[in-house]
Amino acid sequence: MFNSLNRIQNTFGFFTTVAFVLASFIALSDFVTPRAPSAGTIVPESVQVVKGRPHYYSSKKEEYAIVKFSLDASLESLFTWNTKQVFVYVTVEWPEPGADNVTNSAVIWDQIITSPSADHLSNLSPVALRKLKRSAEGKSIDPSRGKLKIKNQKPKYQITHPTGKLAEAEDVRLRLHYSVQPWFGILTFDQESDIGLWKAFKGGVSELFKLPALKKKTTT
Amino acid sequence: MAQDALDKLRDLADGQIDFEGQKLAELLSTLLLSVFAVLSFMVGFTLQDIKLAVYIGLVGTCLTFLVVVPPWPFFTRHPIKWLDAYASRSLVAIETTTE
Repeated sequence: MFNSLNRIQNTFGFFTTVAFVLASFIALSDFVTPRAPSAGTIVPESVQVVKGRPHYYSSKKEEYAIVKFSLDASLESLFTWNTKQVFVYVTVEWPEPGADNVTNSAVIWDQIITSPSADHLSNLSPVALRKLKRSAEGKSIDPSRGKLKIKNQKPKYQITHPTGKLAEAEDVRLRLHYSVQPWFGILTFDQESDIGLWKAFKGGVSELFKLPALKKKTTT
Repeated sequence: MAQDALDKLRDLADGQIDFEGQKLAELLSTLLLSVFAVLSFMVGFTLQDIKLAVYIGLVGTCLTFLVVVPPWPFFTRHPIKWLDAYASRSLVAIETTTE
């Protein structure tokens, strides 16, 4: 520490250690914050199976399911100071006929819910971004963003199956998932059992339903 | 004159401090950085504000650099008192070391 350069090096060296330890403590603070996410309802609204092609030049015809749904969930407790964003997604699950313990699962819809501290990172139009920022004016966290009320949502993704056959699949259900992406620490997902202060995700699964038969072309 | 000014400039850029000052600088850098880290965690956690925590940490670090790096007068308050140089003795010393 005898000259300025040496003092710069020493101070910066210790700063990196302090920053790392501080980040670790912030990451650990997640574990002392209770989480109790739950989903009220998740229901398929209208389900369609149509024939289509994976891309324009494909000669292969596949069946695609278009599942509209409604859901109702409260994920408020996932939004803490260390939450950067919560990724919410809905999958359709159905057992593979004739095979034990094989479950098909495909994502039909997803959404990124940012924390006010990460609003500037969201990929939105300038107008929508301004609106989003204004909604959390002066707030460091905004748990109300975890309140989901979605009615008759069109799926973002149409799903199919490697065999190309999907119509009349039995025992299909919708499932809501989430993953919490923190500023510091580990990525966490919806869990099926309690871990410490984090409760298992309650609900988030729909009743079983059956995919309809292939929609016939109405052209004569 | 120019030589003097240059010497002064070099001393300032070099920023040498005495032994007591070095001890103090070490203590200050450790203490200040740690205190600001603890403060930033506590404020951030109670107010649930990660941005504030990061800003407190960064401002605290800048402040620490400002306090520790320049050769402030309080780092140079205990200059070493060297023994007076003897012309004859130093000659002998040089002879013995060159052997």
